[in-house]
Amino acid sequence: MTIPVTFWSYFAELAGCSETVVTVSESSTVDELLADLYQAHPALSELRRSTLIAVGVEYQDGEYVLKPGDHVSLFPPVQGG
Amino acid sequence: MKRFLSITADPIDEAGLVANRTLSSGMGAAVYFSGVVRGQEGADAIVALDYSCFVSMAEHQFHRLFDRLAERGSVESVRLVHRIGRVAVGESSLWIEVVSAHRAEAFGACQWVIDEMKQVVPIWKTPVTAAQASSPLNPNPTS
Repeated sequence: MTIPVTFWSYFAELAGCSETVVTVSESSTVDELLADLYQAHPALSELRRSTLIAVGVEYQDGEYVLKPGDHVSLFPPVQGG
Repeated sequence: MKRFLSITADPIDEAGLVANRTLSSGMGAAVYFSGVVRGQEGADAIVALDYSCFVSMAEHQFHRLFDRLAERGSVESVRLVHRIGRVAVGESSLWIEVVSAHRAEAFGACQWVIDEMKQVVPIWKTPVTAAQASSPLNPNPTS
Protein backbone atom coordinates (compact mmCIF):
# COMPACT_ATOMS: atom_id res chain seq x y z
CA MET A 1 0.00 0.00 0.00
CA THR A 2 1.09 3.58 -0.52
CA ILE A 3 1.23 5.98 2.39
CA PRO A 4 1.50 9.73 1.81
CA VAL A 5 3.94 11.49 4.12
CA THR A 6 4.01 15.22 4.82
CA PHE A 7 7.01 17.04 6.27
CA TRP A 8 6.22 20.12 8.33
CA SER A 9 8.31 23.13 9.33
CA TYR A 10 12.03 22.83 8.56
CA PHE A 11 11.68 19.10 8.00
CA ALA A 12 10.46 20.01 4.51
CA GLU A 13 13.75 21.78 3.81
CA LEU A 14 15.74 18.85 5.16
CA ALA A 15 13.75 16.40 3.05
CA GLY A 16 13.89 18.62 -0.02
CA CYS A 17 10.13 18.37 -0.42
CA SER A 18 7.01 18.87 1.64
CA GLU A 19 5.35 15.61 0.66
CA THR A 20 6.27 12.19 -0.59
CA VAL A 21 4.72 8.77 -0.91
CA VAL A 22 6.16 5.60 0.61
CA THR A 23 5.17 2.13 -0.50
CA VAL A 24 5.03 -0.37 2.35
CA SER A 25 3.66 -3.87 2.75
CA GLU A 26 0.37 -4.54 4.50
CA SER A 27 0.50 -4.28 8.31
CA SER A 28 3.71 -2.33 8.25
CA THR A 29 4.45 -0.15 11.25
CA VAL A 30 5.41 3.50 11.29
CA ASP A 31 8.94 2.40 12.25
CA GLU A 32 9.16 0.29 9.10
CA LEU A 33 7.96 3.20 6.99
CA LEU A 34 10.53 5.46 8.65
CA ALA A 35 13.33 3.02 7.92
CA ASP A 36 12.56 3.33 4.22
CA LEU A 37 12.06 7.05 4.47
CA TYR A 38 15.37 7.67 6.24
CA GLN A 39 17.24 5.89 3.49
CA ALA A 40 15.79 8.32 0.97
CA HIS A 41 16.12 11.35 3.27
CA PRO A 42 19.18 10.80 5.51
CA ALA A 43 19.14 14.37 6.82
CA LEU A 44 15.91 13.55 8.63
CA SER A 45 17.41 10.47 10.19
CA GLU A 46 19.77 12.59 12.26
CA LEU A 47 16.75 14.16 13.99
CA ARG A 48 14.85 10.95 14.60
CA ARG A 49 15.04 11.27 18.40
CA SER A 50 13.20 14.58 18.40
CA THR A 51 10.85 13.79 15.53
CA LEU A 52 7.14 13.90 16.27
CA ILE A 53 4.90 11.54 14.32
CA ALA A 54 1.24 11.93 13.53
CA VAL A 55 -1.12 9.72 11.61
CA GLY A 56 -4.02 11.87 10.49
CA VAL A 57 -4.41 14.39 13.30
CA GLU A 58 -3.35 12.11 16.16
CA TYR A 59 0.12 11.54 17.57
CA GLN A 60 1.37 7.99 17.17
CA ASP A 61 4.54 6.11 17.99
CA GLY A 62 6.65 3.86 15.83
CA GLU A 63 4.67 0.74 16.71
CA TYR A 64 1.47 2.03 15.13
CA VAL A 65 0.31 -0.37 12.40
CA LEU A 66 -0.48 1.50 9.21
CA LYS A 67 -3.74 1.06 7.37
CA PRO A 68 -4.78 1.96 3.83
CA GLY A 69 -5.81 5.59 3.77
CA ASP A 70 -3.47 6.65 6.56
CA HIS A 71 -1.52 9.88 6.12
CA VAL A 72 1.70 10.26 8.09
CA SER A 73 3.14 13.59 9.16
CA LEU A 74 6.62 14.18 10.53
CA PHE A 75 7.68 17.34 12.25
CA PRO A 76 10.03 18.85 14.82
CA PRO A 77 9.04 19.83 18.37
CA VAL A 78 6.22 22.35 18.33
CA GLN A 79 6.68 26.04 19.20
CA GLY A 80 3.27 27.67 19.47
CA GLY A 81 2.60 30.84 21.40
CA MET B 1 -18.09 24.80 28.58
CA LYS B 2 -18.26 27.32 25.77
CA ARG B 3 -15.28 27.48 23.47
CA PHE B 4 -14.03 29.60 20.62
CA LEU B 5 -10.96 28.83 18.54
CA SER B 6 -9.46 30.76 15.66
CA ILE B 7 -6.20 30.08 13.84
CA THR B 8 -5.85 33.06 11.60
CA ALA B 9 -3.48 35.12 9.49
CA ASP B 10 -5.36 38.26 10.48
CA PRO B 11 -4.23 40.54 13.31
CA ILE B 12 -5.82 39.69 16.64
CA ASP B 13 -8.53 42.20 17.55
CA GLU B 14 -8.00 42.14 21.30
CA ALA B 15 -10.35 45.05 21.98
CA GLY B 16 -13.07 43.40 19.95
CA LEU B 17 -12.60 40.09 21.74
CA VAL B 18 -12.84 41.76 25.13
CA ALA B 19 -15.90 43.75 24.06
CA ASN B 20 -17.64 40.55 22.94
CA ARG B 21 -17.05 38.70 26.20
CA THR B 22 -20.07 36.96 27.67
CA LEU B 23 -20.26 35.49 31.13
CA SER B 24 -23.06 34.34 33.37
CA SER B 25 -23.86 35.95 36.71
CA GLY B 26 -22.02 33.28 38.68
CA MET B 27 -18.71 34.01 37.02
CA GLY B 28 -16.29 36.26 38.88
CA ALA B 29 -13.07 35.91 36.91
CA ALA B 30 -12.13 36.62 33.31
CA VAL B 31 -8.40 36.14 32.77
CA TYR B 32 -6.83 36.79 29.41
CA PHE B 33 -3.26 36.58 28.17
CA SER B 34 -1.76 38.15 25.09
CA GLY B 35 1.53 36.74 23.85
CA VAL B 36 3.49 39.43 22.00
CA VAL B 37 6.38 38.91 19.58
CA ARG B 38 9.61 40.19 21.11
CA GLY B 39 12.29 42.03 19.14
CA GLN B 40 14.93 39.48 19.97
CA GLU B 41 15.21 35.76 19.39
CA GLY B 42 18.12 34.56 21.44
CA ALA B 43 20.94 37.01 20.75
CA ASP B 44 19.56 38.12 17.38
CA ALA B 45 17.44 41.17 16.67
CA ILE B 46 14.36 40.28 14.65
CA VAL B 47 11.49 42.16 13.07
CA ALA B 48 8.91 39.36 13.01
CA LEU B 49 8.19 35.69 13.47
CA ASP B 50 6.81 33.53 10.68
CA TYR B 51 4.34 31.05 12.14
CA SER B 52 3.54 27.88 10.22
CA CYS B 53 0.86 25.43 11.24
CA PHE B 54 -0.59 22.01 10.48
CA VAL B 55 -4.02 23.56 10.79
CA SER B 56 -6.33 20.53 10.90
CA MET B 57 -4.20 18.82 13.51
CA ALA B 58 -3.74 22.03 15.48
CA GLU B 59 -7.50 22.52 15.64
CA HIS B 60 -7.98 18.92 16.73
CA GLN B 61 -5.31 19.15 19.42
CA PHE B 62 -6.65 22.46 20.72
CA HIS B 63 -10.11 20.94 21.04
CA ARG B 64 -8.68 17.95 22.89
CA LEU B 65 -7.13 20.40 25.36
CA PHE B 66 -10.46 22.19 25.68
CA ASP B 67 -12.16 18.82 26.29
CA ARG B 68 -9.75 18.16 29.14
CA LEU B 69 -10.37 21.66 30.48
CA ALA B 70 -14.12 21.06 30.38
CA GLU B 71 -13.68 17.95 32.51
CA ARG B 72 -12.52 20.17 35.36
CA GLY B 73 -16.05 21.57 35.50
CA SER B 74 -14.90 24.95 36.82
CA VAL B 75 -14.44 26.85 33.56
CA GLU B 76 -17.42 28.45 31.86
CA SER B 77 -15.66 29.44 28.66
CA VAL B 78 -12.36 29.49 26.85
CA ARG B 79 -11.53 31.58 23.81
CA LEU B 80 -8.24 31.25 21.97
CA VAL B 81 -6.84 32.95 18.87
CA HIS B 82 -3.46 32.01 17.38
CA ARG B 83 -1.86 33.92 14.53
CA ILE B 84 -0.15 32.20 11.64
CA GLY B 85 1.94 33.72 8.90
CA ARG B 86 4.15 36.72 9.60
CA VAL B 87 3.63 38.43 12.95
CA ALA B 88 5.60 41.63 13.47
CA VAL B 89 7.43 42.54 16.65
CA GLY B 90 4.97 44.12 19.07
CA GLU B 91 1.97 42.28 17.66
CA SER B 92 0.10 39.58 19.50
CA SER B 93 0.60 36.04 18.23
CA LEU B 94 -1.59 34.38 20.86
CA TRP B 95 -4.64 35.53 22.76
CA ILE B 96 -6.45 33.35 25.26
CA GLU B 97 -9.20 34.06 27.74
CA VAL B 98 -10.66 31.83 30.43
CA VAL B 99 -13.82 32.64 32.37
CA SER B 100 -14.57 30.92 35.65
CA ALA B 101 -16.11 31.61 39.01
CA HIS B 102 -12.86 32.38 40.80
CA ARG B 103 -9.49 33.83 39.79
CA ALA B 104 -7.37 30.89 40.89
CA GLU B 105 -9.20 28.58 38.49
CA ALA B 106 -9.06 31.12 35.69
CA PHE B 107 -5.34 31.87 36.07
CA GLY B 108 -4.55 28.18 36.45
CA ALA B 109 -6.57 27.13 33.43
CA CYS B 110 -5.10 29.88 31.26
CA GLN B 111 -1.56 28.84 32.18
CA TRP B 112 -2.39 25.17 31.73
CA VAL B 113 -3.73 25.61 28.19
CA ILE B 114 -0.65 27.57 27.15
CA ASP B 115 1.74 25.04 28.69
CA GLU B 116 -0.05 22.11 27.06
CA MET B 117 -0.33 23.91 23.73
CA LYS B 118 3.44 24.26 23.64
CA GLN B 119 3.72 20.48 23.90
CA VAL B 120 1.13 19.19 21.46
CA VAL B 121 -0.23 21.80 19.04
CA PRO B 122 1.70 21.67 15.75
CA ILE B 123 2.69 25.29 15.26
CA TRP B 124 6.24 26.42 14.51
CA LYS B 125 7.92 29.79 14.33
CA THR B 126 10.84 31.07 12.29
CA PRO B 127 12.62 34.31 13.22
CA VAL B 128 12.72 36.99 10.54
CA THR B 129 15.54 39.55 10.55
CA ALA B 130 15.29 42.95 8.91
CA ALA B 131 17.44 41.75 6.01
CA GLN B 132 15.27 38.68 5.49
CA ALA B 133 12.07 40.73 5.66
CA SER B 134 13.24 42.96 2.83
CA SER B 135 14.46 40.10 0.66
CA PRO B 136 12.29 39.04 -2.27
CA LEU B 137 13.46 35.48 -1.54
CA ASN B 138 11.71 35.52 1.81
CA PRO B 139 8.29 37.05 1.30
CA ASN B 140 5.58 37.14 3.90
CA PRO B 141 4.15 33.62 3.66
CA THR B 142 0.60 34.92 3.98
CA SER B 143 0.84 37.79 1.51
